[in-house]
Amino acid sequence: MFFRILSVFGFFFLYAPIAALVFYSFNASKLVTVWGGFSTKWYGELFGDPQILGAAWISLKIAFISASISVVLGTLAALIMVRFGRFKGRTLFSGMITAPLVMPEVITGLSLLMLFISLQGLIGWPVGRGLSTIVIAHSTFGLAFVAVIVQSRLVDMDKDIEEAASDLGARPVRVFFDITLPMILPALVSAWLLAFTLSLDDLVIASFVAGPGASTLPMVIFSKVRLGVSPDINALATIMIGIVGLGIFCATLVMLRKSSREG
Amino acid sequence: MTHPNPTDEKPWLDIDRKPFIKIRNLTKKFGDVVAVDNISLDIYENELFSLLGGSGCGKSTLLRMLAGFEIPTSGTIEIDGQNMLAVPPHARPTNMMFQSYALFPHMNVAKNVGYGLRRDGLQKAEIDIQVSEILELVQLGGYEKRKPSQLSGGQRQRVALARALIKKPKLLLLDEPLGALDKKLREETQFELINIQETLGVTFIVVTHDQEEAMTLSTRIGVMDIGTIAQIGEPQEVYEFPRTRYVADFIGSVNLFEGRVIKDSPNKLVIESPDAGINIHVPHGVSCSPNQLLWFALRPEKFEISVAKPKNVTNLLKGTVEDIAYLGGQSVYLVRLETGRLVRTVRANRDRGAEAPITWQQDVYLTWARSAGVVLTS
Repeated sequence: MFFRILSVFGFFFLYAPIAALVFYSFNASKLVTVWGGFSTKWYGELFGDPQILGAAWISLKIAFISASISVVLGTLAALIMVRFGRFKGRTLFSGMITAPLVMPEVITGLSLLMLFISLQGLIGWPVGRGLSTIVIAHSTFGLAFVAVIVQSRLVDMDKDIEEAASDLGARPVRVFFDITLPMILPALVSAWLLAFTLSLDDLVIASFVAGPGASTLPMVIFSKVRLGVSPDINALATIMIGIVGLGIFCATLVMLRKSSREG
Repeated sequence: MTHPNPTDEKPWLDIDRKPFIKIRNLTKKFGDVVAVDNISLDIYENELFSLLGGSGCGKSTLLRMLAGFEIPTSGTIEIDGQNMLAVPPHARPTNMMFQSYALFPHMNVAKNVGYGLRRDGLQKAEIDIQVSEILELVQLGGYEKRKPSQLSGGQRQRVALARALIKKPKLLLLDEPLGALDKKLREETQFELINIQETLGVTFIVVTHDQEEAMTLSTRIGVMDIGTIAQIGEPQEVYEFPRTRYVADFIGSVNLFEGRVIKDSPNKLVIESPDAGINIHVPHGVSCSPNQLLWFALRPEKFEISVAKPKNVTNLLKGTVEDIAYLGGQSVYLVRLETGRLVRTVRANRDRGAEAPITWQQDVYLTWARSAGVVLTS
C-alpha cells in the first residue's frame, strides 16, 4: 500500500506538469494559468511566428545531421571495442568514448567553444560559430550514446554468425554489410532516434557553441520564457512532446519487432 | 568385381600415400594457457576423421585453426599441399558447420544455403538449381522460403549442413554436428552424415565429445587430452587396444587392475594384482622393465558372469552382485570383489526371463579369456 501511494506520487510529479502544459496549450485566455475556454489559436500563432519556425527548422536540421554522424562514428567505435579483440590502450579508448555520458554539459560546451576558437586562430576553420559547430558538438556526445547501445547489441550477437559468412567466402567488409549491419539495424535505429532527441533537447552545449543566426529551438524558447511565459510556448512544448513521444514509440516498436522475430 | 586394395580404404596404412591435410607441430596459446600443444597429424582424402575429447581438450581450437578463425602460435597446416597459414578464412578451401549452426537469422533457408555461391559470383538461376539440389539431398525440399526461426532443431542442423556443403569444399569441418539433437534423431542423422560423405566424397573432420558418435561416424578417431593427441586409430583399434589409461577410460568404460609383472616369458605374462586379489595371466609379453607398475584393462562385456563355479579357467574372480542396471538389450552388474574392488560387467539379455537370473547380493564368478584385456604401462 505504501509503495502504491509512493508510485502515485512519483507519477503525479512526473506527469502532472506535462499534462497541465498540454491542457493550457488549448487555453483561449492569454493568461497562462487562467482557463478561458478551448481554443487552438496559440497553435495558429505559433505557425505564424517566423522566429520559432526558423529555430525549429534549424534544430531539426542539426538533430538529423548530428544523429546520422553519431550513428556512423559510434558504430565504428563499438565495432572496434567489441570485435577487434584486446589491443593496446583498449581500456583508455572505451573510457574516452563513454566519458561524454557523464561529463557535465557546461564543461563539454565550454571546452568545445575554446577548441573552436583556437582552431579558428590556428587553421582558420571553423569560421565563426553556427550550424556546423553545433552539429560537431552534438555529434560528439551523440556518438557516446550510440557507441554504448551498439556495443551492447554486438556483445549479444553470436560471433559464429559472422564467422560463418567469412567461412563461406565473404571478405570482412562484405561480412559487415551482409550480416552484421542487418542484425544490428534495430539497435542503430533506436540509437539514431536517441541521438536525434538528445540533440533536439540540448540547450547548454548549443548555447556555448552557437553563433549568430543559428539559434536552436530550445535556445529560442529559453530566451522567450525569460521575458515571461506566453501560451504559444505551451503549444510549442505540446508539439515537441508529441514528436519525442512518437520517436520513443517508434524505437520501442522496432525493438519489440526485433525481439519477437528472434524469439 | 575386383576386391578393393586394402590401402585404398585405409590410406593411413600406406606409407607412400600423400596426406591431404598435414599438421605439423601445431601449438596455440591463449595467454599462458596452452590450448593445443605441439600436435602433428595426417588426414587423408575422403576420410571421416573424428577429434574426440572432453571439454577444454583443445579439439575445437584445432578445428578453428583449420578454418582460419584462430592463428596458430607456431607450427604449420597444409591442405592439399598448400600452406594455409597466410590464407584468410574466406579464401580457404574449407567450410565449417558450427555447433550453434550459426544460420543467418534475417535470411530464409534458400538465401542461407545459397550464400556461399552468391559470394562466388554465380548466376541466380544457377544458384537456385544448386540450392534445390542440396536441399533435396538433406531432405529439406520445399522449405526454401522458411526463416531459421520457423524450423525445428533437426531442420536447422540440415540447413547448416547444406550451407556448408554447397560450395563442395575439399574439407568439411563439423563442430559437434549432432550435439543439439535428441538421441533418436542423432542416431538417424549419424548414418545420413556418412551417406552424404560417401556420396559427395568430401573429407570430413568432426569434433565431438560423444564417443558413440565418433565410433559410428569415423574412419579414424583422434582422442585428445589437454592439448595433445593421446591416440589415433580406427574405432575398433582405439576401443580394443587403447594405449593409455586415459584413452581406455574415455572410450567406453573399463575396469583397471593395478599390478606388477611377476613372470615374463615369450608366450605368457603373469601379473600380480593386489587390486583383483589374484594373479592375472596374459598371453603375450609386454615391453616393460621388471617390477614396473602397470595396469590390466578389461572392458565390462569381456567378462563371463556365472553363478556356478567354472572349471579349468586361469583367470577367475569371485564377488557379490551389488547393483544391477537393466538397460533392455543388456544388463550392467556391479560386482564387489573380495578385495573390496567394484567391477563393472555387462551381459546381453539373450533370453526373455532367463531360467536362473542373477540377483542382488548373489555370489557370482567372473572369468575372461586370456587375450580379452590389454596391459597398459601409462
